Amino acid sequence: MPLINFAAREINYKIVYYGCGLCGKTTNLQYIHRKINPDARGKLVSIATEEERTLYFDFLPLTLGTVKGMQTRFHLYTVPGQSYYNASRKLVLQGVDGVIFVADSQITRLDENVESYLNLWDNLLGQGDDLSKLGFVIQMNKRDLSDIFSIEDMNELLNHTASPVTESSAITGEGVFDTLKVVCKQVIAKTG
Amino acid sequence: MARRKGLVINDRQLDRCDDLLLKLKEVSGSSFLALISTSGQPITTASDSYHPETLSLASLAASSFAATQQLASLLDENEFTLLFHEGKALNLHVSQVTDQILLIVTFGRETQVGKVRLYTQRAIEVLRQIFEGPDDENMPSMDADFESAAGDAMDDLFKDV
Repeated sequence: MPLINFAAREINYKIVYYGCGLCGKTTNLQYIHRKINPDARGKLVSIATEEERTLYFDFLPLTLGTVKGMQTRFHLYTVPGQSYYNASRKLVLQGVDGVIFVADSQITRLDENVESYLNLWDNLLGQGDDLSKLGFVIQMNKRDLSDIFSIEDMNELLNHTASPVTESSAITGEGVFDTLKVVCKQVIAKTG
Repeated sequence: MARRKGLVINDRQLDRCDDLLLKLKEVSGSSFLALISTSGQPITTASDSYHPETLSLASLAASSFAATQQLASLLDENEFTLLFHEGKALNLHVSQVTDQILLIVTFGRETQVGKVRLYTQRAIEVLRQIFEGPDDENMPSMDADFESAAGDAMDDLFKDV
C-alpha cells in the first residue's frame, strides 16, 4: 500500500522485518544503518526495553534518490519477536508493502521459527490485504553458526509460498543488502 | 476483501491541503502541522521556524495512534479519535482525518488546547472532503520505466556496501 504523492513527487514503501525473538531483525537494521551512505538514510529509531529487546518496533528510513522524477523512499520496520507482543506486530504490519521473514537457522530455534511464520500469515490474512501484491522474501539468517538446518530443510518448513530465499549472517552483514534489494525490487514491481 | 489500493495524492489535493494547513496554523496559533498516512508516511507539512525530523515523527505518531485505537478496542470503546500529549513547552495533538490519513498539530503555551481542538475539528471536516471526494479521472500514473530505473538506483546505492 505505497503512498504515492504525485504533487510532491514522492513515493514511499513500507518494508517490515518479521521473525521470532533474537532471530536478527534489529541486527539487519543496525547493519544497514551503519554501512549505508549517511546521506541516503534517516535516524534509526528504536522502541526497546532496558534489555535492548524490541518493545514496539525499530524504524529506519532509506532514500533511494530521485527516480524518474519521483523521490523514492523505503521505510524499514522491525516487529517485536517475542510471542506475547502480537498486538504490536499487527500494528506494525498495517500498510505494509513488503515483508522480510528472518528465519533463525539454528536447529534449536525450529519451534519459534514455525510459530512466528504461522503468526505472520495469520496477521496478514487478518488484515484482509490482497497478498498477491505483497513483496515477500525469506532470509535464512545465522548461516555462520554451527548446528543449523540446511537451506533445503528450512525451505520445506517455512516456505509454503515458494518465495525467494536469501542466506545471511546479519551480525557480519553477509547477505543483509542482498535480501533488502530483493524485497525492494519486488515491492516496486508489484505495487509501483 | 482485497484492499491493497494504496494512497495516491494529486496536485489539486495537495494544494488544497497546504492552503488549509497554513490557515489552521494561523487561526489556531500552532507551530507545526503535518498530514501523514496511518502507515506512518508524511504527506505534507506546514511550519514557520520549527522543523522536527518529519520521517521519525510520522512513524512514531502513526504507531502511537494505532496503539491508542487498540486500547480503545480493549476497553470496549468504539474509537479514540485523537491522541494528546502535554509537555512543558510543547503539546502534540494527533487526530484522524480518514481511514488512511492523520493530522499532527504541535503547539506551545501561547495558545489554548480548546482553540486548537475547535479549529482542528473544523479543518478535518474540510480535509475529509478533499480526500473522500470522487476519484480524479485525470490522476497521473507512474512512469512506465520507473521499475527498471529504480532497480538501477538500488544497484548504485548498494554497490559499495
